[in-house]
Amino acid sequence: MLACNPKEVDPSETSSVILEFDNRVGAQKLALGTTTYQNAGGEAFTVTTLNYFISNVALRKADGSVIQFPDQYFLIRQADAATWEPELKDVPLGDYNAITFTIGVDSARSASEIDARTGVLDITSYGTDGMYWSWNSGYIFMKLEGTSPVAPLNSAGQRAFQYHVGGYGGYTSPAPNNLRTVTLPITDALKVSANKKPTVHLIANLLKVFDGSTPLRLAQTHSVHSPAAAGPIANNYVQMFSVDHVHN
Amino acid sequence: MRYGYYLVLLGLLGSCTAPESTAPKVAFEVPANFPAPTYDFSRNPITQDGFELGKALFNDPILSRDLTISCAECHTQPHGFTHHGHDVSHGIDNRKGTRNSLPIQNMAWESEFFWDGGVGDLDFVPIVPIENPVEMDENTGNVLEKLRQTRRYPLLFKKAFGSEEITSQRFLKALSQFMLTLVSANSRYDKYVRQEGEVLTQEERAGLALFKQNCASCHAGELFTDKSYRNNGLTLQGTPDEGRYLITANPADKYRFRVPSLRNVAVTAPYMHDGRFYTLEAVLDHYASGVQDTPNLDPLLQQNGRRGIPLTAQEKAQLVAFLGTLTDTDFLTDKRFSSH
Repeated sequence: MLACNPKEVDPSETSSVILEFDNRVGAQKLALGTTTYQNAGGEAFTVTTLNYFISNVALRKADGSVIQFPDQYFLIRQADAATWEPELKDVPLGDYNAITFTIGVDSARSASEIDARTGVLDITSYGTDGMYWSWNSGYIFMKLEGTSPVAPLNSAGQRAFQYHVGGYGGYTSPAPNNLRTVTLPITDALKVSANKKPTVHLIANLLKVFDGSTPLRLAQTHSVHSPAAAGPIANNYVQMFSVDHVHN
Repeated sequence: MRYGYYLVLLGLLGSCTAPESTAPKVAFEVPANFPAPTYDFSRNPITQDGFELGKALFNDPILSRDLTISCAECHTQPHGFTHHGHDVSHGIDNRKGTRNSLPIQNMAWESEFFWDGGVGDLDFVPIVPIENPVEMDENTGNVLEKLRQTRRYPLLFKKAFGSEEITSQRFLKALSQFMLTLVSANSRYDKYVRQEGEVLTQEERAGLALFKQNCASCHAGELFTDKSYRNNGLTLQGTPDEGRYLITANPADKYRFRVPSLRNVAVTAPYMHDGRFYTLEAVLDHYASGVQDTPNLDPLLQQNGRRGIPLTAQEKAQLVAFLGTLTDTDFLTDKRFSSH
């Protein structure tokens, strides 16, 4: 009974797990700015911004039981290396063989009262790199921006693309829901032991954003700013994550 | 207990003035003819200092990018906190928006905000105009930083919330406290239905009867809205605003907009989501003979084989007379809400 309630966990029986998000483009490390990459359609592109929220992490034990971490929210921002390896706290000691997480901010917290909007969920904390849609109350789950010679010229004279994905399902009326959850096996078990912080090294391969279940081409899809249009992008990026290895 | 009582007495005797009351001068009360409010006051109780902070913020152009536009710029008290005479408001750099500014009144009874209901919690409303490029074009985080640099605001936040810390939660709660106190429930109509000795003229009473018969299915109850989203058959002009559809992506919501309250409607011209009608007569002419058969036209506006609501010239005049009884002069002139 006690183990079912995270609040009852004895601190001496928990440790932290580092979730390392290693953003790549195919076989290259993602570098913001000038490096040119290419999608499967042969379209060249650069990446100027990549941000995404991770929430509702869960770990599965070898015996099949699942430990959930509903109150820990992470915002990965490629421009800020300090955000690449967030720490999942209060993980009960043990061996785990799978990890689950949601890309974005779950519906309950997306509609929660202002007092619950702290840390990375503080809607005023993003500076000029906004991760919140004020007019349609909701977080931007994932933001990918860059340039491509196949994108049309914008008013600033740049051939830019923006993929902003949000949409948690609406307050009262149903609205587009682009929350996606992924479960990944951890083949070499994650061993959480006292006084150690093991790392789960995850790779996010951005090419999957363009070449997932629905191929997206920058010549056609270059400006996405609303929940209704973002579904295919969410369906693609849920496939971009994999567990490469663990450091126990 | 007794000891404390004597201390209070001594305090009174030792001072030339009465002790300062801690009770808010601006209390929130539910009018007798209103339903229960929807806002959860337990998470943001209204205090006098919270109200004063919210009022200061509401009237301060520091909320805008270039310190030119305050909330009060487009929400003026004499006009039910709307932007009188403007179809759509002029924001920063004289940029124009696409929608008519809504009144700020009786917000405690609203559960969704703006013409499309894109926001479902009053506490999250202020960041919409602050961050809209054609309104205040500012970043809310930067507003908080600007407030921290002032001499005045850290002290006001301390009075309201106990410390000088300026957070998004406190900033937004203070604005909510001010907006929540903007209760309009003292019109001649209110005094009439509460039987406080007010009488309506024969023309106004005829208008009320017509209103109940023809308008109250949407402009329902004492708040004069059923809080639904409807297409009232406006001509699709310019680049048509798709309204609620922009939030839900449900094709059935295309061209639907929130049914607005009609309180203080006589002073909140112009009308409709884009402010296209400058007079109440023009609005009634629309309902009588201007309703267009556009996608998702509300069924209530196409009954018995005809579009719109049949109204004679006399009936329109009676309705306009009745709508005038919803003007709440006490509210529109209440000095507690005034920036001066």
